[in-house]
Amino acid sequence: MRTVLTIIKKEFYRFFKDERLWLTAIVLPGVLIFAVYSLMGGIIDSVQQQEEDYFPTAIVVNMPTSLSPAFSQAFKLSDGDVDGGKQLVKERKIDALIVFPERFDELIAQYSPASGQPAPNVEIYYDSSEEHSQIAFYKAESMLSAFEDAASNMFDVNRPAAEAVYDFADSQSSSRMILSMIVPMILLMLLFSGCMAVAPESIAGEKERGTIATLLVTPVKRGYVAVGKIAALSVMALLSGLSSCIGMMLALPRLAGSGSGLTISMLTVGDYAALLGVVLSTVLVLIALIAIISAYAKSVKEASGLVVPVMLITMLCGVFSMFVTGVANIGLFFIPIFNSALIISSIISGTMTGGALAVAICANIAFSAALVFVLARMFKSERIMFNR
Amino acid sequence: MEEYLKEEYLKVENLTKTFRLSRKQRKTEGGLIVKTAVDDLSFTAYKGEIFGLLGPNGAGKTTTLRILATLIKPDNGDAFIGGSSAVHDEYAVRSKIGFLTSDLKLEDFFTPDYLFDYFSELYSVPAETAAKRKAEMFSRFGIDKFASVKVANLSTGMRQKVSLVISLVNDPDFIIFDEPTNGLDVLTAKTVTDFILELKARGKTVILSTHIFSLIEKLCDRVGIIIDGRLAALDTLENITAGKSLEERFFDIYSQFKGGEAL
Repeated sequence: MRTVLTIIKKEFYRFFKDERLWLTAIVLPGVLIFAVYSLMGGIIDSVQQQEEDYFPTAIVVNMPTSLSPAFSQAFKLSDGDVDGGKQLVKERKIDALIVFPERFDELIAQYSPASGQPAPNVEIYYDSSEEHSQIAFYKAESMLSAFEDAASNMFDVNRPAAEAVYDFADSQSSSRMILSMIVPMILLMLLFSGCMAVAPESIAGEKERGTIATLLVTPVKRGYVAVGKIAALSVMALLSGLSSCIGMMLALPRLAGSGSGLTISMLTVGDYAALLGVVLSTVLVLIALIAIISAYAKSVKEASGLVVPVMLITMLCGVFSMFVTGVANIGLFFIPIFNSALIISSIISGTMTGGALAVAICANIAFSAALVFVLARMFKSERIMFNR
Repeated sequence: MEEYLKEEYLKVENLTKTFRLSRKQRKTEGGLIVKTAVDDLSFTAYKGEIFGLLGPNGAGKTTTLRILATLIKPDNGDAFIGGSSAVHDEYAVRSKIGFLTSDLKLEDFFTPDYLFDYFSELYSVPAETAAKRKAEMFSRFGIDKFASVKVANLSTGMRQKVSLVISLVNDPDFIIFDEPTNGLDVLTAKTVTDFILELKARGKTVILSTHIFSLIEKLCDRVGIIIDGRLAALDTLENITAGKSLEERFFDIYSQFKGGEAL
């Protein structure tokens, strides 16, 4: 046991005494994720704001009296005819040309769907490849749709009223539902990168440089070497993963926008404890998998290539977890990594059960223990350890 | 002295080791699929003796040493070190030996000071003993002057001194030296050879593998000549040389062993 601690201590010393290593593996991921997500949120906000604030230009031919005030408010109108208007839209000098049939108000008042005649047609000419023209189109289309609804109103659905609340979901729970689909994949990928930042270097790197043989010639049991390495690397990868998570959580409200109601306090202390438990057990599995691949590889470079299938599986686990809706079959929680994605999703959506959490964590720990055993066997194999 | 030398410490019995060659290796080995690196090798080394293993490159010296150090297992046969089997009791063997070879490298990031403590802990050397041993060895080899410098920043000679000291953290009774003076300047090489003689004087058993004749002549009590994985000759240095230089005798033996094949 003492030798396991000695190995852990040495791995920590190697990692934490090397500023470049811990800065790039721990500090940088969190800072980068925060910066990138915040920037993305800022850009999305400003684009949305621009769209809201934009006052499109348009030519309206045969403007009906009933719609004139609304259109004058929504558009900067100018005079023109159909052909001239089309040319101006093509030249991007105005955003849209809206052509009403002559005597539009009369036509719609007389029109009956039962007559079998085609309904009066309003034409909106625009250029969908131009952003402002697109905005003008949507604005005009929505105004006309609303007008049509009002003109032929037979019944309402969920009529807006001061005290009427039809959707019981608050903005936060809607956001949580969306997040529960996205976060598992993002989190798994962040944890995976954390593991990749430390594991191949510590095992394939030592093998490549010939320093692991110096360790293997000592009387330390191979199992202790495997446990020591995996324990130390897991802590480092966990720190890297936590840094990414903190960066992500701090940036999330900015990314989702202020109306989303997303804050760090949306999860309880219990949720965070469950999240930590499942993340730790996932890190153990990922580290053990990458360690085995690294022990097999002849160099760090080869290990980075061989690890790609594990990365894809991890990503797919995140993706497939999106399709598991409602209460998942308990059997699914026995599948390492996939169970983590399901648990992370359920924690965020607020549907996690203690049983599923326990099964997932135990399954991950048992799987990691089996992998540690395999790693120890690999350390014993001269063909694997000395195949240079 | 003779009686003292008669106490067996290493007994190598019928060691055989084969390797399956990779496609690339087969091209240079004339299409051979399996190469016999060590072929039914047997010899004994006595306590307080420096035993030399002499042979050309690829003769099987390093493979033999790796088997003795328990890094690899033989296909057949066994080696007993201080009574412990290298095949069945590798942990006991590892705690009894020291192995100095260019195959075992030290991590560049660490200092000699840290590495000595680290390996002492791995060998379960009590802290007090380790500290005392470190002070003695560092001062003996002048490592104390660069004990806090990372291995990456040390010269070849300095690194070899550190490797030597690290290989002896457990004060082993049996020490394997694989080409211990390779790449060293004359001063550092002398420090190393003097130390090997000092180890012998302290009753340690030393296996020295080299292709440098003068090193064998200077240090070894007995010599085993390995050619193509087999023991071509084994005797005391005096009996092997028989009035000639070791170099001359080696080429005679090589030629005889190869059936008159010219070098």
